[in-house]
Amino acid sequence: MDGITKRFRNVLANDNVDFHLRAGEIHSLLGENGAGKSTLMNILAGMYQPDAGSISVRGQKVKISSPQDSLKLGIGMVYQHFALIPNLTVIENLMLGFEGGFFLKLKKAKRKLHHIIEAYGLSIDPYKMIQDLSVSERQRTEILKILFHDSDIFVLDEPTSVLAPAETVNLFHTLKLLRKAGKTVVLITHNISEALAISNRITIMKAGRKTAELSGNTLSAMDPKTASDKILDLMFETIPQAETGGPAEVIDDDPVLEVKKVEVLGNRGQIGLKPISFSIKKGEIVGITGVAGEDRRLLAEVLGGQRQVAAGQLFYLGRDITQTGITQRFELGISYITDDRINEGCVPDMKLSENSILQSYNRHPNSRLGILNRQNIRSSTCDLISRFGIRATGPDALVSTLSGGNIQKFILARSLGGKPNLIICSSPTYGLDAVTVRFIQKLLKKESRRGTAILLLTPDLDELFSCSTRIGVMFNREIIGFMDRCEATTEKVGKLMVGIC
Amino acid sequence: MKTVDIATLKPAILPIVSILFSLITGGIILLIIGQDPMVYFGLLFAQGMGTSLGVVEAIIKMAPLLIISAGLLPCFSAGLWNIGVEGQFLIGAMLTGWAAPLLATALPYPIYLSAIVLLGIIGGMGWVLLPAILKARYDINEIITTLMMSWLAINLVTWMVKGPLNDLSTVPAQTTLIPLIHRMPLIPFSRIHIGLIIGAAVLLGMHWIIKRTTLGYQFRVMSANKKAARHSGMNVPRLTLYGLVISGGFAGLAGAGEVLAIKGLFQSNWNPQYGMTAIPLIFLARLNGWAVIPLAFFFSFLAVGGEFVARHMGVPVFFVHVLEGLTLLFFAASEYLEKRWGLK
Repeated sequence: MDGITKRFRNVLANDNVDFHLRAGEIHSLLGENGAGKSTLMNILAGMYQPDAGSISVRGQKVKISSPQDSLKLGIGMVYQHFALIPNLTVIENLMLGFEGGFFLKLKKAKRKLHHIIEAYGLSIDPYKMIQDLSVSERQRTEILKILFHDSDIFVLDEPTSVLAPAETVNLFHTLKLLRKAGKTVVLITHNISEALAISNRITIMKAGRKTAELSGNTLSAMDPKTASDKILDLMFETIPQAETGGPAEVIDDDPVLEVKKVEVLGNRGQIGLKPISFSIKKGEIVGITGVAGEDRRLLAEVLGGQRQVAAGQLFYLGRDITQTGITQRFELGISYITDDRINEGCVPDMKLSENSILQSYNRHPNSRLGILNRQNIRSSTCDLISRFGIRATGPDALVSTLSGGNIQKFILARSLGGKPNLIICSSPTYGLDAVTVRFIQKLLKKESRRGTAILLLTPDLDELFSCSTRIGVMFNREIIGFMDRCEATTEKVGKLMVGIC
Repeated sequence: MKTVDIATLKPAILPIVSILFSLITGGIILLIIGQDPMVYFGLLFAQGMGTSLGVVEAIIKMAPLLIISAGLLPCFSAGLWNIGVEGQFLIGAMLTGWAAPLLATALPYPIYLSAIVLLGIIGGMGWVLLPAILKARYDINEIITTLMMSWLAINLVTWMVKGPLNDLSTVPAQTTLIPLIHRMPLIPFSRIHIGLIIGAAVLLGMHWIIKRTTLGYQFRVMSANKKAARHSGMNVPRLTLYGLVISGGFAGLAGAGEVLAIKGLFQSNWNPQYGMTAIPLIFLARLNGWAVIPLAFFFSFLAVGGEFVARHMGVPVFFVHVLEGLTLLFFAASEYLEKRWGLK
C-alpha cells in the first residue's frame, strides 16, 4: 500500500501512508484509538475506497472495491466484533461463500477442515453452533475461515482484547505456526508489550500518519523497556505517565456491599455461579479477574440487578437488596457499568443528552411528573462533556458518532455524575488506547478516594494490579482466592486463574 | 415567535419529492392506458381542492386518519408494529353501531356521547389486548398476530351484523340508524364533525408525549435499543403492552367516530380501510405528528378527488391507490438513497 490517503468529512484518517507486507512475517500495526489503523486495514479489506494512493498485491497493482475483491486476493480479516452467524454451525459458517450448486458439499468441506485443523493445531468441534462457543473459540473459527478460503494475508483487529492471558498464549502460538507456513499476519493493536513479543516488524501510526517502521532486528537489539519507551514516544504526543501512588486507604470499616453465598443461574438454567461471598468497604477497590469472561459477567449482572439471585443474600449499606430491581438499586446509589457499551450501555442512535438520562430519566431534575426537563438535561450533558473531556460536538451529537474511548468516558461520566456509593464496572478499559485507559483508571481511583466502593471486574492484570486494594480470582464459576494488593504477585494470581491454589 | 429554521424543514423534502414523483409516474401510466394525464390531474385537483365541496369532504375524511395516526405514533415510535388497526377500528365501530341506538334515549346527551366513545375505545383496546399480551410475555411477533386478529374482526363484525345485531326492520344487514340529533356534534357553522378537532388535538398531544415525557422517552429508547432499555431497568413488557393498547384504543375511537358522525349505523361489508391508509402515512411523516396533518389531507384529497374523477372519466377509483402506493415506493427508495449518499 503506497501513499494511502483517506478523508472522512473534515477528518484526515489516513495521510499519505505507506504500508508494506512481506510473506512469512508478523507485522504489528500500533497506534492509539483513532490513529487510523483500522481505516488503513479497512481499505485493504475493501470496506473503504482510498481518496489517493495505490495497492499492489504480489507485485500487481490492484483495485479493491469490495470485501469480495479482497477475499479473492487472499486477504482475510478478523474483526473485533466477529462476523459469524450465531445459529449456524462452525462448518456451515466456514462454507459461507462456497455455496455454488444446490447441495452443500459438507463432506468435502469436512475433509478440508480436518487438514487445516491438523496443520495448525486449531482444534474445534465443527458441528457446534457459533452461539454455543466461547469468545476464543469464535476467534479460532474466524481464523479457520480465512484458512478455509486459502487466503495468505491475515489481518487481526485487536485480537487479544477479548482473550484471557492463557488464551493469548494459544493465539500467539497459532500465529507463529501461520508465519512458519509462509503466511502474512497483520496485528492491529495498541498493546505495546504484545507487539514487541511477537512481531517481525512494527509500524506505528499517529493521527493518520505513519510515524515509524521498526524492524525486528532493531527491536531485539534494545531491551524491552527502552523499546517500549521509544514506541510510546512515537505513538503519543505526551507520554502517559504511569500513575504513581497506589489506591487510597480504606476509610471505613462498614461494608458498603455484602455478598452472602450468592448463587446464580446461567442463561439456560444451568449453574452460573457457585456460592460466592465477599464484601466491599467504603473507599475500597476490589478487583476481580478470571479466565472466563462469562463468570465475571454473571457476577456483575447479579450485583447490578440484571439477573436474579438464585440463592443467598445481598446487602447494601446494611439493607437487604436481594430482590431489589435495577431502577431501585440505581436510585439507592449502585451504578453498574457494563462491558457491553454499545448494546447495553447506550443507545447509539440517540443524542448524548438523551443517553445521559438513560437510568435517571425518572428523577428530579431530569423530569417532573413524567415531563422531561430538556433544558436541564442539555446543560447537565454539556457539563459532563466538559468536565470529563469527552470529544463530541455537543449534547445533540449522536452517540454513534463518538469513538469507543469517548463512549466509555461518557458512560463513566454519566455514572459518576449520579454520585454513586457503589460502582460495579466490568472491563472498563477494554479496547481503549493507553491514554484513555490511564484517564479512566485515574478517575476510578479518584472516585474511590471520595469514598465510593468500587468493584472492578477485569481480565487485564495490569489494570488489576494498578487499581485494586484487594484482589479476587474467579475460576470455574466461583471465587477461589482473595488477597490484599500488597500480597499479590502476577505469579500468584496467574496460578489461581488456571485453578492452582 | 420563533423563526423557522430551514434545517428543520429538511425532513419534509423527501415526502414532497416522493409525492411529485408518484404524480409524474402516475401520469405516465395514464398515458399508457390511453388517458390524458393533464385532464385527469386537472380534474383531480379542480374537484378535490378547487371546490369547497371537495375540500370539505377531504377534511371530513381526515378525522379518522388523524385519530388512528395518533395511536400509531407512540406504537411505531416504540418499535411495535400494530398492523391490525383495521380490525380494532371495526370492533369499535360495531360496538358503537350496536350500543348507540340503545343508549341514545336512555341517557342525557353528554353522558351518552362519552359512554359510546369510551365503549369504542375499550373495544379497540380489547381487540389488541391478546396480541399485546403475547408480545409482552412471550415475544410473539405482533405483526402476525395483529394482522390475524384483523381478519378475525372483519369476519366477526360481518357475522354479528347479519345475526345478533341485525335491525330486522331494514332490508340490508345493518344496525339501527342513529337519529341525527344523537350524532356527533359538528364544528359550528360547518358540516365538519368535531372528530377533526379531536384528531388533531390527540395527534399533536401524542407527538408531545413522545418527544417530551418520560413515557415517550422510554418508548423511543426501547425502539432504538431494547437491550439498553432492559439494562437500565425499563419495564419492557409493560411498555409493550402500553404501546399496543394505546394504538388499539385510538383505532376504536376512530371507528366510533365514523359511525357516530358519518354513517349513523354499522353495515356488514363496510370497511373504509382507514387503517391501511394510516400506516403508510405515519411512515411518510417519519413519525412526526405535525407532518401527519398535511399528509392526511393529501391522502383524503386523493380519495375524494379520485372518486369525482372516476365519474367523469373512465379511470377507476382505485387509481388513487396506485398513486398512494407509488408515493410510498418512491419514499422508500429516496430514504435508501439518502442513507447511501449520506445526505443526512
